[in-house]
Amino acid sequence: MANWDDLQKSSFLESSARERALGLVDKGTFTEFISPIDRMSSPHLPVLGEAVEFDDGIVVGVGLIGKKPVFVVSQEGKFIGGSVGEVGGAKMVNTIKLAVDMYDKMKAENPDLPEEKRPAVVVSFETGGVRLHEANAGLLAHAEVMDQIQDARGKVPIIGVIGSKVGCFGGMGFVAAATDVIIMSEFGRLGLTGPEVIEQELGKEEFDAGNRALVYRTTGGKHKYIMQDCNFMVEDTIASFRDQIAEVVKISIDEMEGLRRIGSLELVEEQIKLVELAAKMQPSDSKDVWAHFGNEKPEELTDMPYDEFMKVVKRYPKQS
Amino acid sequence: MEMETLVGQGREAINMIIDPDSFQENVVGDLKVEDESFGPGAVIGTASLNGEDVTVIANDAMAFNEKFPVVFAGVIGMEEAYKMALAVYNSIKADEDKPVDKKRPIVLIVDTPGNGPGKVEEIFGMNKATGSYQLSLAEARKKGHPIVAMVIGRAISGAFLCHGLQADQILALPKQFQTMIHVMPLTSIARITKQDLERLEELSTTNPVFASGADFFYQLGGLEEIVEQFDKMREKIISHIGEIRNFKSAGQYEKTGPWGRGLLGAEREGRAVRSKVIEQMQKEFDSVADKYISA
Repeated sequence: MANWDDLQKSSFLESSARERALGLVDKGTFTEFISPIDRMSSPHLPVLGEAVEFDDGIVVGVGLIGKKPVFVVSQEGKFIGGSVGEVGGAKMVNTIKLAVDMYDKMKAENPDLPEEKRPAVVVSFETGGVRLHEANAGLLAHAEVMDQIQDARGKVPIIGVIGSKVGCFGGMGFVAAATDVIIMSEFGRLGLTGPEVIEQELGKEEFDAGNRALVYRTTGGKHKYIMQDCNFMVEDTIASFRDQIAEVVKISIDEMEGLRRIGSLELVEEQIKLVELAAKMQPSDSKDVWAHFGNEKPEELTDMPYDEFMKVVKRYPKQS
Repeated sequence: MEMETLVGQGREAINMIIDPDSFQENVVGDLKVEDESFGPGAVIGTASLNGEDVTVIANDAMAFNEKFPVVFAGVIGMEEAYKMALAVYNSIKADEDKPVDKKRPIVLIVDTPGNGPGKVEEIFGMNKATGSYQLSLAEARKKGHPIVAMVIGRAISGAFLCHGLQADQILALPKQFQTMIHVMPLTSIARITKQDLERLEELSTTNPVFASGADFFYQLGGLEEIVEQFDKMREKIISHIGEIRNFKSAGQYEKTGPWGRGLLGAEREGRAVRSKVIEQMQKEFDSVADKYISA
């Protein structure tokens, strides 16, 4: 694996889960939990004659950004699509729990705990959700992650980063929605139902899953940025993601609440207004929505380079 | 017995559970949903159960959402999920000042085949809608509201995650009443994982981890109790509300909800490695924690 300095310049999109985990925190500070040495692989895959990975396709651990303990969960799309099973799910759930427990302990010992010491969690999503080979255990793990995210509210910020090949879909799509902050590159994709399933449900005329541009317009980073479903869009290097994370963790926990998309009555009421717009517009393409928010030539946004896009794009005018 | 299934009959199930004629639909605390075309696949309201106010949230499989055509047969679409979340947040708000043992229970009646799978849904973010509802339930649970989910029909994948799996305790009718609890039918699992269907079918009779059905979810700790008869649902829900209240009054919030079901999964031996992973992680973390705390 490349060293930390080389990783910074690497494409986030092309990086493995372990590279992302190492590269997103300060140099030389990452400690992995349940590393491949522990050989905690899925007990359910061999029953079906499937190969295992000794990390079960997920890298978890803790590092530092400055003085702040930053817990990291990083999913590996190359292993069964980054899917979540019993072992990987437990690693994810417990990483958030360790962060919250650590915060409770630090706060009990020092009621004036400075913000710069408050633990944070970064989740680098690359997953289609539940691992079908152990579907029921994977499903139950998803519920546990949501439970931990709610436990972390007001204590430990959870930052979702999405810019890897598989994107973030299925049950992990709403896990990502439930985080405090989402950072994406234009190559990141976020949704609930993957493109193939929509095609299957609605027919190819309505949604052609093979149409890459359409898929990106519907779930890609630029679209999610326009919709305010992603808070920050960055370029495709580990350093860009890392710099944005370093900025985000400076935000106080109370202000962090203002970056959420969901998680309160007020936010539900705001989202309902967006759904009213969806019902009224019945857009056949995301471009209709981009135009509605004031982007006069929406078709030009798709291929626009990052800097220019950030300069000209008009986003959904969020009320809260 | 005349009726052999409650699949598709969420409204009928409400009447079988609550005190007679006590259901006030579309009203929860300050909330009054007046637009009948809003989220018709979700039934929300306030009822009396054993003489106390409860919030009821159910699916209406007979309803069709004209604005969002993928929403029918009990599918939870964007409007439905937000409507359900409104019911929960308004329950929390209504009882803000009440002590833990007086927080109103929330009863989820589960019969849903999935979340809205459409293009408009993806453009506007179906994931936020289901995520909202889950966070609202988790918040209500942690604030003391006892939440019981009763699976009367289909409890499928993401829709079950959103409407069911954030409850304190989950009850289900057994499979002879056509209940279905799973992520995907075996035929789809076979196709996607490129496994032989016959082999999967054979394995699924004994392996709870991907098999379909309430009894397998029971072994995994995915639900607390199987309720053998329709007419036992009411009393079982009432007794589980009492049990949950006892845990919460004693501050034992970890005994219920998704975490509690993790413990149950270990106890019932259906999810044996989960707890080993957690234990080993704790050990590894403890050996380095000081370095990160004092950095």
